[in-house]
Amino acid sequence: MFDAIVWLVSWALILIGCVFVVSGAVGVIRMPDLYTRLHAASLTDTGGALFISAGLIIQSIFVFGSAMAAIKVVLILFFTLFTAPTASHALAKTALLSGLVPTDASGKPLLESSEEATQLARSRPADYRSGQDSETFAKESQFFNGELGAGRRNSGRLS
Amino acid sequence: MFIAATIAVLITMALTLTRALMGPTLFDRLLAVNSFGTKTVMLIAVYGFMTGRPDFLDIALVYALINFLGTVAVLKFFEYDDPAAATYQEDDY
Amino acid sequence: METLVVAVLLTFLVVIAIGIIVLRDLLGAVILLGVYSLVAAGAFVVMDAVDVAFTEAAVGSGISTILFLGALSFTSHKQKPRGHDSVAALVFVVITGGVLIYGTLDMPYYGSAESPAQTHPELAVRFIEESGSEVGPPNIVTSVLGSYRGYDTLGETLVVFAAGIAVLSILGLKRRRPEDEVLEDAPGDTARGASDNQQAYKE
Repeated sequence: MFDAIVWLVSWALILIGCVFVVSGAVGVIRMPDLYTRLHAASLTDTGGALFISAGLIIQSIFVFGSAMAAIKVVLILFFTLFTAPTASHALAKTALLSGLVPTDASGKPLLESSEEATQLARSRPADYRSGQDSETFAKESQFFNGELGAGRRNSGRLS
Repeated sequence: MFIAATIAVLITMALTLTRALMGPTLFDRLLAVNSFGTKTVMLIAVYGFMTGRPDFLDIALVYALINFLGTVAVLKFFEYDDPAAATYQEDDY
Repeated sequence: METLVVAVLLTFLVVIAIGIIVLRDLLGAVILLGVYSLVAAGAFVVMDAVDVAFTEAAVGSGISTILFLGALSFTSHKQKPRGHDSVAALVFVVITGGVLIYGTLDMPYYGSAESPAQTHPELAVRFIEESGSEVGPPNIVTSVLGSYRGYDTLGETLVVFAAGIAVLSILGLKRRRPEDEVLEDAPGDTARGASDNQQAYKE
């Protein structure tokens, strides 16, 4: 009975992980531009690793009876949970910094020029650090809600 | 079960590899490669359990770290080699 | 199942290698080289050569990528378009590769029980039974590398060390960009920069 539960739970976790991982790969293939691909890849990377590792931990404790293996899987999960989002963030930041302009669903660029993207990437951490982010954030969310929600009213300026 | 997981991870690796080869920009390649590295870690871990010898996990651990190191190294290269960064400094807007 | 995994990984290797050849962007090629090493190391793991896999991952995917990046920072990303695709070079490479593959036909098959290393009357048995008491470490491969073929390992280490020093001295010669142009902090950090950013938003 107990064995059946262990197998069932680890089966389910690993299968969910597989679904995450494969759907992430399909997203990486099918999404239109870098930032959406990044979205697909990074989230499913972490989620897939989380579920598969959870299944493996259950397997290693109850089936293989090896606590060391479980600890190693926990370490792998730990490092993945730290490094994968960090790498994704650094990737997106560097892409913006080098002027790759994000586009909306119809393929229109959301920023005027690549210089503007660079400027955006440069300006953000400073605003966060000096505590002046609330105003910027309000403008930004207004911009994104206005631009993405109701379509583009004016031709591309940030206000 | 582990066989299914292994096959799923292999399919994923093939798909991300396709993106790494297709990717119009370098960042697409880098994204695909980073994802591919994570999948390699998963593959080795799952494969170790599939063959009943979870000793391979050490290697998976090392790969997880090396993969992150490689990605960050390339991104660091971008940041300092980037022409936009240099012009930014000169303009001093 | 093992055969399937190895076959898929080797297919990945071939595809990545072709991709590296076709790519004109050197940075992309360097990134793909890192993946190549990772996949090769994965194949080594599946084939039970764990120590080789460790080395391949650390050297191929870790150090080489960083060294290539260091070399790339002296030059540009783009490969120069070649004026001609040399047929003679292709023929030469194909012949060399064919001869090498012909040479591997004499090797024992993967995992074969009749290979000389397995059928030698003393070698494997001696290593397995005596290495623990003769050398010490519980890992037989370590004993072989460190003691039974210690001079060989010493020579290898010397070569690698010399190569490392040479690479470091080449890459460390001069920085391409003067030090003062390296950004120490984001210029937007100052109050002026922040207000400028807000102006940029208001515009």
